[in-house]
Order: sequence, then structure tokens, then C-alpha cells
Amino acid sequence: MRWDICYRETWLHRTNPSLKLLVMLVLFIGVLFVHNPNILMNFSIALILLFIIYTGYPMKYLLLLFLPFLLIFISTASSMMLFGQGKTTWFQWGLVHITKESFLRGMHLGFRALTFALLGLLFSLTTRPVYLFYSLMQQLKLKPKYAYSFLAGVRLIPIMLEEFQTVQNALKVRGVTANSGIFEKIKRYAIPLLSQSIRRAQRIAVAMEAKRFSSGAARTFYYEIGFSKYDFVFLLLISVMAAVAYYVGISFPYIPVEDVR
Amino acid sequence: MSATKGLKLADILTTIVISIVFGIVYKLWGPFYYFVKPFGFHLDQLIYGMWFIAASVAFLIIRKPGVALLAEIAASSGEFIMGSEWGLEVLLYGVVQGLCAEAVFATFRYKRFDLFVVSLAAISSTIGSLIMDFYKGYIEALAPWNLALFLIARFVGAIVISGVFASSLVKALEVTGVTQMVRPASKEDYDALDR
Repeated sequence: MRWDICYRETWLHRTNPSLKLLVMLVLFIGVLFVHNPNILMNFSIALILLFIIYTGYPMKYLLLLFLPFLLIFISTASSMMLFGQGKTTWFQWGLVHITKESFLRGMHLGFRALTFALLGLLFSLTTRPVYLFYSLMQQLKLKPKYAYSFLAGVRLIPIMLEEFQTVQNALKVRGVTANSGIFEKIKRYAIPLLSQSIRRAQRIAVAMEAKRFSSGAARTFYYEIGFSKYDFVFLLLISVMAAVAYYVGISFPYIPVEDVR
Repeated sequence: MSATKGLKLADILTTIVISIVFGIVYKLWGPFYYFVKPFGFHLDQLIYGMWFIAASVAFLIIRKPGVALLAEIAASSGEFIMGSEWGLEVLLYGVVQGLCAEAVFATFRYKRFDLFVVSLAAISSTIGSLIMDFYKGYIEALAPWNLALFLIARFVGAIVISGVFASSLVKALEVTGVTQMVRPASKEDYDALDR
């Protein structure tokens, strides 16, 4: 959902947004029940491939996006590795106690965080918010007053960022120094941003009500969003990925551990 | 006063716009959280409570049923749309935390708006997030002293940020007068008319 970066539209962009969201949610919950690190590693490798080949963004940009994931991988994995419980001690120093079990569990958590992040990015890189909310209204029967409010809200983000900079400049001009506490600092920005946002929201709401955006009657849509052959391809590919990850993980394990709990 | 039941478009839009402000904060909070993490010993948990604040603030401003849940969902989807490091996870966490906060406000029948109730909501959201962590992060497998530190830090942080800070933020907002535009007329307002 980054409009400023040019990308190639792939078939992933043309799948139905509601379907994509539901599939991602199912995968998310499914991954919570995977306790075998081999299967999870295979699945995250498959997702990385999907991410690189089919999101349609230039490689340089994808690598840049990937950088924070490594940080998350390390920080998620490390606290379980260093302080988790286990039987086979590898290293002990003061409170730090690395065991084989906690190390593997930490790695597993790292891969899990990576999988979640990839699922999210795959979705947000290939879905336009406008299509998502239109699809939610048409396929999942989200009430229009909620969907249009969300759309209006998303449109306000650039204005809010601009206002944020205005406040920043105003504070600079008046020589407000940064040596106050963090809460004081947040407040200084939050109060003008929130109060302006509330006023703006009220004005937009009046305008939208006048144009009958709030009415419950059946309405037509500017964007008609349906299903296509790409949705079938998407479902098939995801099922194949999950099946292969499972089969390979069971048959050719990299690590001789089946359950990290 | 109003003929329609539930939230009106104006309430929904205001809630969502407020939540998107917090969505931006949630997004920026992610890197900050990971910046504090390497200092070890769960310092990061002290600032975890920021991710519950949208529910408290929106409820304190608009004071209607359903606002807390909607706010938390909207803030987390805003964070998600902006490309959160956690991806889809934030959406599910948002729903659970919102439901927990909403449950507390509902218990008081949406009639109390003080620090105590907001702090309870923060505690409730913390419990919601812990339930999710239990499934996701095997937190029960941490060494006992470490788990205790983790829990205490998260609860304390939640009360300080989404309880105390949230209500002081709304108090400051009340001074600007914008809250008068969105709140339903209260008993005091009618009493003031009679005077």
C-alpha cells in the first residue's frame, strides 16, 4: 500500500482482497499450531520465494523491507534462547542459561515471527486499500458506514503527517527544547493532532451524512469486485506450498526435533 | 435523542480518525520497542501498554458503547496498512485487546469514565495480549523469575500508559473544547439548562 513506489502489477494484485485476507488469517492461525521447526522453516522459505517473485516490487526495495525482519528474528529468538527452560545445557553464565531446547524453541519463534511478517507484507504490498474496503462491503457485507469511514480515515493520513511537521516546525520556531519527559513530548504533539482530527472528522461526517453515506438502503458501488481465475491459482498455490512444506518437513528433516514445546 | 440505535456515522468516523492517529503512533512504536529490547530484562514490556491506548482514549472522548473495540481494531488495521513489522499479527491482537477493554467498559454499563475504569481496561487488554502471547510465544517456557519480570513489567506499563497517561491526555483535550462536539449530552448538561 505504498503509492509512491512503482511496481509491476502481478496476478497477486488481482486476487480478491477479502479472499486474500481470509486465507492469510487462516494461515496465521494454522502457523500457531505448527510446533515442528522443519515444517515451519520450509513454509517460511516458500513464503520468501513468493515474496520475491510475485509481489512485483524491485529487488532493491524488497531487500530494504526485509532488513527489519532480521532484527525481529534476532530479538524474538534471543530472549527465549537466553532465558528459556530446558534440560541439555550448552552454556551458562549468571542468569543466562542456554539449553538445546530453549535454543531450538528460540529459533522456532524467530521463524514464526518471520512467517507472520511475510504474510502481512505479502498482503499489504499487493492490496490497494480502496479495493480492500470495497471488497469487504461486497463479499463480506461490511456495513458501508464503517467501510467509507475507514476509507476517509486512510485518506487523512497524509494530512496528519503534514500537520505533524507543522507542529514540529512551530515548536522549533518557538524554541521548545527537547529536554522534557517522553510523555510531555507525546502530549505536545498529540493534543493539536487529535483536536484537529476530531474537528475534521466532524466536518467530514456532516458532509457524508448529507450525501447519504450512512443510509442502510441497498447501494451500488463504483468498483465492482468479484472473483477471477487468479483466486483459484492463489488458493491452489497456497495449498501446494503448505502441503510440500509439511511433506518435506516430515520426510527430510534438517533438525532431528519434531516438537519444540 | 437520536432515532437510530448504535453508533452514528459521525461517531464511527471520529473514532476511526482518532484511531488512525494512534495507528501512526503504534507503527512508530514498533521500532522503538525493538530499540529498547536489546537492553534486556524485559524493559521493552514497560512500553508495551502503548498498544492499548486507542481503546481508552477513544472511549473517554466519545463515551459510547462499541467505541473501544472499534478504536482498537481501527488503530491496529491502520498500523497493519502502514506495513507493521508484525504483519497480520497486529490485527488479531487488536481485536482481542479491544474486546477485553470493551468488556470492562460494558461491565460498568458505559457509565463510568474515570481513571479507575480506564486502568481496569488496560489490565484487561494486557490479559488479552498475554493470552495471545501464550499461544504464539511459548511464554510459559521462560524461566520463572524471567516470566515474573515480564508480567510485572507489562502490567505496570499498561496501567501507566493506557490508564494514567490516556486519561491525562483526554483531560488536556477537554480543555480545548473539542470533546464537547462528540459526547452525548450528559445529565449535568440538562441540569445546567434548568439552572
